[in-house]
Amino acid sequence: MSKVKNWQLGREVEYPYDESRPKRQWAIVFDLNKCIACQTCTLACKTTWTSGKGQEYMFWNNVETKPWGGYPLAWDLRILEKLGRQDWGKNGEYLGKTLVEAAPPTERVLHFAPSDEDWMYPNVGEDDCAGAPVDGGGHVQKLPHDKWMFYLPRTCAHCTYPACLAACPRKAIYKREEDGIVLIDQTRCKGYGECVRACPYKKSMYNPYTRVSEKCVGCYPAVEEGIQPQCVVNCIGKIRVMGFINPPWKARDDNPVDYLVHKKKIALPYYPQLGLEPNIYYIPPVHADPEYLRQMFGPHVDEAIAAYKQLLEDPVAAGLLCLMGSTDRIMHRFEVQKGEAIGYDAAGTELVRVPVTEHVYERAAFDDKLGAVRHNTP
Amino acid sequence: MSHLKLALLLVSNLALAAVPVGCSDKPAKPPPLKELLVKKVTADLSKAEPGAAYWRDAGGGEVTLIAQPMIAPRPEKVTTSSLLVQAVHDGKQVAFRLRWKDPERSEAGRLGEFSDALALEFPLADGPLPPVMMGAPGMPVHLFHWRAQYQRDKEKGKPAVADLYPNMSIDMYPLEFKGAKGGTEAEAEAFSPGRAAGNPQAYSKTGVDEIVAEGFSTSSVMEGHGSQAHGDWKDGEWSLVIVRPLAIEGGSTLKPGQKGNIAFAVWQGGQGEVGSRKSLTMVWTPVSVQ
Ligand code: SF4
Ligand code: SF4
Ligand code: SF4
Repeated sequence: MSKVKNWQLGREVEYPYDESRPKRQWAIVFDLNKCIACQTCTLACKTTWTSGKGQEYMFWNNVETKPWGGYPLAWDLRILEKLGRQDWGKNGEYLGKTLVEAAPPTERVLHFAPSDEDWMYPNVGEDDCAGAPVDGGGHVQKLPHDKWMFYLPRTCAHCTYPACLAACPRKAIYKREEDGIVLIDQTRCKGYGECVRACPYKKSMYNPYTRVSEKCVGCYPAVEEGIQPQCVVNCIGKIRVMGFINPPWKARDDNPVDYLVHKKKIALPYYPQLGLEPNIYYIPPVHADPEYLRQMFGPHVDEAIAAYKQLLEDPVAAGLLCLMGSTDRIMHRFEVQKGEAIGYDAAGTELVRVPVTEHVYERAAFDDKLGAVRHNTP
Repeated sequence: MSHLKLALLLVSNLALAAVPVGCSDKPAKPPPLKELLVKKVTADLSKAEPGAAYWRDAGGGEVTLIAQPMIAPRPEKVTTSSLLVQAVHDGKQVAFRLRWKDPERSEAGRLGEFSDALALEFPLADGPLPPVMMGAPGMPVHLFHWRAQYQRDKEKGKPAVADLYPNMSIDMYPLEFKGAKGGTEAEAEAFSPGRAAGNPQAYSKTGVDEIVAEGFSTSSVMEGHGSQAHGDWKDGEWSLVIVRPLAIEGGSTLKPGQKGNIAFAVWQGGQGEVGSRKSLTMVWTPVSVQ
């Protein structure tokens, strides 16, 4: 067992292999305040990757309603319950055990094995509200709301310390050096399903037709061409941006993902206490129950929400949020100047330029030239 | 289980002493297998037949298996502690009959379902004996891996999705919908990654896979040499025969009049056993070919 650095937990953690960070690390940031659960991302992934036999119930990207939804059923509750107490120290260091550290001697990773049926209700709990009964109507003038729910879109997190990779006795899972994408070798996998058992996020799935396991491929063919994944570029709510994250000691302020995660600290990993250093990051929803959010996003969630609420006063951060969903290409660098946010590719070529504040045009309600009434529908 | 019986079981499992068991009206307990004698028979061994008459006098004995202890994930306790082994040959083929207790027949299929299975292991080449657990770099081993799942493939064909999930509904598959022109097999396979990648797991099996390995995590399916297998499950017991050629060019070889080595592993699919979750022998059992 090796000791590896996990910056999300502020300490070293145990892992079966040595620390070996890729040259670049694939990452997606999601703004949960903007997701509308339209499932366009889910379908973009499905039509691209999983329309074949044995993939009928396979959703590499899924969107579930929190707290009640879960695909597979109750994946989060079941692994959290198994792990036991998950305390954080005053300085944000994790005091509990990770899944690798909590594993019994016979296992690589503490896990639960979902049953076949658990995967059969991908949208269970949709729009179910928590907090209190809503029969008499709700009051949502205050933040956070006392009755709440939010949508959680999820892909594979292409973890720095993947549980799926750790658990595979055939070494059929590998993490690519060039972009950190975690793949199951489709020629070597023998369908043992150890990754399906081990991944706490349940993003390794079994194909009963090919009898091997499959998972989100991070849209690597697109990424190799400098294009963001399907679930990102098709996002209706423009809530996502895919890029490459650096560890905090190499963070660059002009890198969009580094900026949101390390500089502004408004985007957080989910269930970091599991110890895998997952690389999907969430801007937490400002209206949801803070206790629940602390469990999901760790001890920095209150600061992240406070910082998010100040965004309007920060033209750089506001500009970056405007760049989300504005280009299909991967932005390696961004800047904001003269009221415009600009994204650049790896070579420094400009990809996109958007106004930080949309221009406001005022027109008369009646268009004399066309003889028509104007209205606001764009 | 009484303490006395438990103690007896422990003692017999460890093979520390000969344990007096049973009264005379029970079938005699087979002796612990020190060396597997491969009897020469005059019979057609080209078919795997667990019920064939020649097994009655084939001798053999019992080997003790333990829960795979070396690498995680591994079983907490042994599920198959005893395996009855016999072997015969006809000068060309060698047949092994393996019998073990398994309370349920498991063939895998849906997610989370695993298959009953057994593997025979031989050193691939002459020379110093490879480590019994999957060999080592430069010291390859040759495995014959039978799965109940592979046997079902052979008998009934590889199951279609509708066989596994008869009540599932699906709008359509790419290339396969009303009015679709269809596509070539290669085009269809592009939608099945394991098949498109040529993974043997994704294709119909013939009952037994031949595998070569040079250490943990290295096993890969090799071109077969016509080995056959057939298992019958009845009253909580598997009776399985694996037939292979005595001599295999570029593979493990057993020669009449000479000695060899063999090792065993068993999986109980119903207990979630697959891959490294298995019962096995931790030493080579010497083989003597008549
Ligand atoms: S999210 Fe799960 S499947 Fe994806 S890399 Fe992490 S452990 Fe593996
Ligand atoms: S990155 Fe690509 S493969 Fe992964 S969930 Fe998104 S669309 Fe699917
Ligand atoms: S496409 Fe975007 S807004 Fe729609 S569900 Fe997916 S993440 Fe949410």
